Amino acid sequence: MTLTESQQLAYVAAQAADARVNLQFETDDGMTLNIGPQHPATHGTLRIIVRLDGEQVVRAEPYPGYMHRGYEKLCEVRTYPQVTTLVNRIDWLGSFANEVPFILAAEKLMDIEAPPRAQVIRTILFELSRMANVSLFLGDLGIQLGGITIGFYAFRDREFVLNQIESATGGRFHPNFDRIGGLKDDLPKGWIAETKRCMERMRTFCDQFETLVLGNEIFQARTRGIGVIPPDVARSYGLTGANIRGSGVDWDLRRDSVPPGLSYDKADWKVHTHPDGDSFARTWVRLQEVRESTLIVDQLLDAIPSGPVMAKVPRIIKVPEGEAYVATENPLGEMGYYVVSKGDLVPFRVKIRSASFNNISIVPWVTRGVFVPDMVTILASLYFILGDIDR
Amino acid sequence: MPKVPGMVKGLGVTFKTMVDTLKPSGGPVTVPYPHVKEEPTARARGVIALHEDNCTACMLCSRECPDWCIYIEAHKTLAPPRRAGGKPRQVNALDRFAIDYSLCMYCGICVEVCPFDALFWSPEYEFSEVRIADLLHEKERLGEWMQTVPEFEPYEAGSEAKPKKVPAYDPR
Repeated sequence: MTLTESQQLAYVAAQAADARVNLQFETDDGMTLNIGPQHPATHGTLRIIVRLDGEQVVRAEPYPGYMHRGYEKLCEVRTYPQVTTLVNRIDWLGSFANEVPFILAAEKLMDIEAPPRAQVIRTILFELSRMANVSLFLGDLGIQLGGITIGFYAFRDREFVLNQIESATGGRFHPNFDRIGGLKDDLPKGWIAETKRCMERMRTFCDQFETLVLGNEIFQARTRGIGVIPPDVARSYGLTGANIRGSGVDWDLRRDSVPPGLSYDKADWKVHTHPDGDSFARTWVRLQEVRESTLIVDQLLDAIPSGPVMAKVPRIIKVPEGEAYVATENPLGEMGYYVVSKGDLVPFRVKIRSASFNNISIVPWVTRGVFVPDMVTILASLYFILGDIDR
Repeated sequence: MPKVPGMVKGLGVTFKTMVDTLKPSGGPVTVPYPHVKEEPTARARGVIALHEDNCTACMLCSRECPDWCIYIEAHKTLAPPRRAGGKPRQVNALDRFAIDYSLCMYCGICVEVCPFDALFWSPEYEFSEVRIADLLHEKERLGEWMQTVPEFEPYEAGSEAKPKKVPAYDPR
């Protein structure tokens, strides 16, 4: 078989695109550095190819896809109750928060509302998973910057939150507790009192973190003014969550558009923003977020109404035809599910909008001209989970 | 008064934590694992136990499993009538019930859909194997896990759910 010239050229172009990295190694201007695929600052397997000019970054480009597990496609061959098992594993640090938007989208399509008791417990578990997620970020940031102590402290206190999640749901990391029309089970006896003690601990941890890390001069020198993202740039790159609040944009889906099925309106809390937009601001906002979460949980624990935790749903769940998009404010930012149903046992199509994928899209912009050690700070403070990028 | 440097304040936190661990009320937060086992909560999803008498081989669990790791084989047989003079009943006799824990995602859907309460969660977690094929637990091994199933916890105030009963373990 003979190839035409255009076919040969196309083949060569495809090969060149595959070997783009190798070609970059051979270029003369500057040096190419691979951060990852396995690097402690990437929380998983993300590869960032950095072109350097001395110590300065010319261009950094993230190459996601090393952890792609095809969940959007897998959801099309799993029934609605089975999908929650899969979506647990998207952002593995705050698993319960992943289930909620999918379940809410399915509830919206089926026109079911969970009983009030289930809604409140759902919100409490949502906030607990936010604490488990963000407290790991706080400890991990210390480790990235060379302070091991706060890493141990964070893991110590995060364990209490995980214990609470486990004693209610049965799973430390993958609760799989949310159901269409309510929750799988009610809370065990003594859980509320134990959770209140746990919230006390988390608040102590927040105070410790503030003194130990935020007040530290070295930490401030390494994060203040590093990786500044102005508000309009943050908006145009689609940043969500604490990253955009760290840029001074007052945007929180928990307050602005809370979907029916979560009861944030029963608690009195506020959204923290920081005007600076640097790595320090993002860390500060996340710390305040954990504090507010403990307050939300404390208030909601007192306000759990009595009643059933499961609405009347058919045993075999068939979702009527239609499509729905529900987004919630997950620990990492806006997470939304666009569910298309054709009236079958399985969803026809599920599009997952996860926060980290948009959050890392700003990496090439924000790392231009920074130094290599600052790059680790910026990556750590943007806080992405690799499962959340690749799904 | 001169400002106390943040680093010194931070060292105060670490010092206080160190003193706290020396107090009798404090102590270490970790346990030396192989010597001291940490006790998981009663709801912890460790391993699935099978109460064979309750199983009717209805295949619901095996169908609902997201990764199809439950294998059931059964045959039809005649059981003696419930009352004297009645007709013998047709029942399913279980030949094989196996869960492949190398595939299991520990989601708990099988336990939830079981209409006859034949499957239970046990918090037991020490069943790792050297060979991955040994993680396929047949019904005898699944039956032995029934010894480790804890009683269901009572519910928090205001709940309308009722705790279920765990059937007594009968060794075969």
